[in-house]
Amino acid sequence: MIAILRMEGTNNEEDIYNAFAALKYPVEMVHLKQFTGEVKKELEKSIFDYDGIMIPGGFSAGDYIRAGAIFGARLKKISKELKEFVREGRIIGGICNGFQVLTEAGLLPGIDDVIVSKPQISLGVNDSGRFECRHIFLKHENKCFFTEKYEKNEILQVPIAHAEGKFITSKRILEKLKENGQIIFRYVNRNGEYAGYPFNPNGSMENIAGISNPEGNVFGMMPHPERVFYPYLHQEKKKTGDGRRFFESIIEYLRRRI
Amino acid sequence: MIEEISLDVDDNGLMEISRKLGIGLNLEEMRKVREYFKSEGRNPRDIELQAIGQAWSEHCSYKSSKPVLKKFIFGIKAKQNLLVIEEDAGVVDFNKNYAYVVALESHNHPSAIEPYGGAATGIGGILRDVVCMGAKPIALVDPLFFGDLNFDYKKLPKGVKHPKFIQSGVIAGIRDYGNRVGVPTVAGVTYYDESYLTNCLVNVGCVGIVKKNRIIRSRITKKNGKKGDVFILLGGRTGRDGIHGVTFASTELKEKSEKEDRSAVQVGNPIIKEPLMHVCLEAVEKNLVKAMKDLGGGGLSCCADEMSYPEFGAVINLETVLLKEKDMKPWEIWISESQERMMMLVDKKNVDKVIEICDLWDIEYSIVGELTDDRRIKVYYHGEKIVDMDIKFLVEPPVYNRPYTIKEIKEHEKEIKEPVYEETILKLLSSPNIRSKAFVIQQYDHEVGARTITKPLQGKIESLTHSDSVVLKPLPEDYRGIAIATDSNPSLMKISPYWGAKNIIDEVCRKIVSSGAIPHSFADCLNFGNPEKPERMGEFYEACRGLGEFAKALGVPFVSGNVSFYNESEYYSVIPTPVILGIGIIDDIRKSITTDFKRNGDLIYLIGDIKREMAGSEYYKLYGYNFGYIPKPDPEELKNKIKSILEARKLIKACHDVGAGGLAVAVCEMMIGGNVGASIELSKIDMRTDYKLFSESSCFVCEVRERDSEKFEKIMKKHNLRFYRIGRVSGNKLKITDKEKSIILPLHEIKEAFL
Repeated sequence: MIAILRMEGTNNEEDIYNAFAALKYPVEMVHLKQFTGEVKKELEKSIFDYDGIMIPGGFSAGDYIRAGAIFGARLKKISKELKEFVREGRIIGGICNGFQVLTEAGLLPGIDDVIVSKPQISLGVNDSGRFECRHIFLKHENKCFFTEKYEKNEILQVPIAHAEGKFITSKRILEKLKENGQIIFRYVNRNGEYAGYPFNPNGSMENIAGISNPEGNVFGMMPHPERVFYPYLHQEKKKTGDGRRFFESIIEYLRRRI
Repeated sequence: MIEEISLDVDDNGLMEISRKLGIGLNLEEMRKVREYFKSEGRNPRDIELQAIGQAWSEHCSYKSSKPVLKKFIFGIKAKQNLLVIEEDAGVVDFNKNYAYVVALESHNHPSAIEPYGGAATGIGGILRDVVCMGAKPIALVDPLFFGDLNFDYKKLPKGVKHPKFIQSGVIAGIRDYGNRVGVPTVAGVTYYDESYLTNCLVNVGCVGIVKKNRIIRSRITKKNGKKGDVFILLGGRTGRDGIHGVTFASTELKEKSEKEDRSAVQVGNPIIKEPLMHVCLEAVEKNLVKAMKDLGGGGLSCCADEMSYPEFGAVINLETVLLKEKDMKPWEIWISESQERMMMLVDKKNVDKVIEICDLWDIEYSIVGELTDDRRIKVYYHGEKIVDMDIKFLVEPPVYNRPYTIKEIKEHEKEIKEPVYEETILKLLSSPNIRSKAFVIQQYDHEVGARTITKPLQGKIESLTHSDSVVLKPLPEDYRGIAIATDSNPSLMKISPYWGAKNIIDEVCRKIVSSGAIPHSFADCLNFGNPEKPERMGEFYEACRGLGEFAKALGVPFVSGNVSFYNESEYYSVIPTPVILGIGIIDDIRKSITTDFKRNGDLIYLIGDIKREMAGSEYYKLYGYNFGYIPKPDPEELKNKIKSILEARKLIKACHDVGAGGLAVAVCEMMIGGNVGASIELSKIDMRTDYKLFSESSCFVCEVRERDSEKFEKIMKKHNLRFYRIGRVSGNKLKITDKEKSIILPLHEIKEAFL
């Protein structure tokens, strides 16, 4: 069972829910308060009831401070459980705001520890200085459990929609990410080349669009695969939706794990 | 806290009271109020006069527009009408189990004073209008009209904000609110004209989807309510923001408005709205809600009155309302228009269940009152009765048949010299009303919800062009889709409100049809000047006549709308600007068509009769020509075009309506999206080249595969349509030939001008 974690301001939960539901994988919406015990007893849930947690896009708590900061801080209430959850090989994925939440919560990059207390990655304000929503090209550079069904170096078309997506980290972390093959997606042009703005839509370091932890079971990306689950959702019409295999990969991994 | 006011004064005294309280009632209305309280045998309290002021404002009561609307706009019968005109939003048949919901309104005055907050709360308000029908919002639209962006700062009238400032604030407001609540903004207009300098127009529309067995009414009748049912007020707290919003919107803006009326603008909070929508829709889904209405213009007062009228009454305990600040006066609480508030009518036994949902989402609520059967509105404050009035008196204000004068329109044409074509095409493409609106569109999340099938910008990822309409797939389980288009035509409205209005309906339909959908319903937002001036009232009358006649002939109903008068200052009155939100239905979203050229070698057709109808065209405006014949679309001809385009749908690879800038601009836009050139040959059309290229007559441009051309032409002939095969998609230039004339423009120059 997948839990889609929501709180006030997350607003892409239905899109992710529909993707899992379309693939007939059990999925449920859970409010963060149900995990942290801030609700009536009968509404409480344990993260260990689920094989995976997906954190959807949106503007959790309004993102007035720093995108994902409040959601990330609230997640820390259950960081002991989350550590255990990740170590057991269950999955945690974050898309867009969800990616920001995972970096703020210290669950990514997962290099020094499963969870670090201070964020090591920042998703900063786009170089253009504004929110941008449009389709872009992604290159699948390394596989993780979220992307096993994509070919290596395959080029995908996926939409972005964010104001804060500029991937920034330290030299040390960047080197480690490369060394460990944690850079899953990079922004490219139609021909698969690194090509700067507008192809790199936010000015991310080394065109990084999505990364996983070293083990490949915690993953975050800025673009939205759930928004191209079906072929007819693409900007340029395609035979299959480029996002579908993202969800199929997760499901296949979870079925294998069980 | 409560003041009793004696109306036992002369006329001057009455007007002094109206002014002092800021309730905007005129002498005749004040006399009616005096008469009413005489019949009640007592003096009114300040809070009661405030309530009347709100309820009787133009904004709430439509007192000037109602007779005209009734005559022309209301009452177009169609089998898809489920619940139209009478509620906050129109409800229209979608499929067996679902209906779609449409609302469109203005937030002009607040946006002129405080662009960011005004626009943001406009979005907030329109979302509530849709949610209160029990519907999930699935799309937002935002037609915007600003003054000239290059207007000289030094000439700016005192107290007026520069259009650049207004535009950036308005767009940011829509972006920050719309994106945060997770409803995609998919369509709109950005239009510039000097007449919008002192009064920008910010219209906002919303489309939602609702299960037919979960449609919620805002009006309580014996069918959905009973004495003793409970009013729950939920969402944001009530504050001093948004006091006198509707009375402020019902007068002209003045230099002092900046200072005096700032408190009339509300403060929005999308992070209350987002969970508030969850709460409302969850309560609706669980069948806990008997009636629901958002708190908008006139606040709690108008909300309680309109919900209860005409079959019930209400008792409200004002001290239960949760406040943003402690020391608010009762009348302020009663009429505040603070954002993010909803009122629900709930059966007593279900109150706890609603509260449970509120608690999960951390939404504040209070039980504020009860339904009664005495048809009176009674308000108590810590046990003291402070309002006790007949609801009918409040909700049925005087209606005015305002005098109007209709300007006679004389059309004439003059000979003009032929332009330098290359230069003219590039100038048109880069003109503010035609050029790419990507910088606006891409700041809005138009993909959230994963249901935007054809996009607001269409074509290749690196080379996007404008769409005509956007196709959405509202339900995961059904391929049936909704096409959304918005349109207005200020340049023609300025010349002829009657014909301008007809052209708007014609074009909005063509925009829907270009996507492969069939026009299904309209919402109208009518932005005009001061209706107390006969000339303005005449413009309103003529525009409504044009809209109504054309829509009636098509058999497409107006299902929802809004009138915004007083878009006027001592410097300017806005061009009469009716904005139409058109909704189309497409049986299968996979069959939708986009505007970008698809393949080298395909044929290009012009469908329709292109005429020398140049008045108000972007071409004539570019060169300052203020004459010419007005395009006069014919609904019967349009029906024919719609039929044939839809019949030929599977043969059409790209389709674009001919609009601002004419055929030349339409072809350029299609090229940009396809990132490909076109060669066009026009000698078969008998007119001078510039009229052919720049006329804005009611036409379509279609791309068709060569192998399908015979079938395609057969369909056009069958419907007796004038059509021309005008060229091919080819190369990387625009090449136009017309007898000995040859016009060549490289694609990259066209893109540079457009972007």
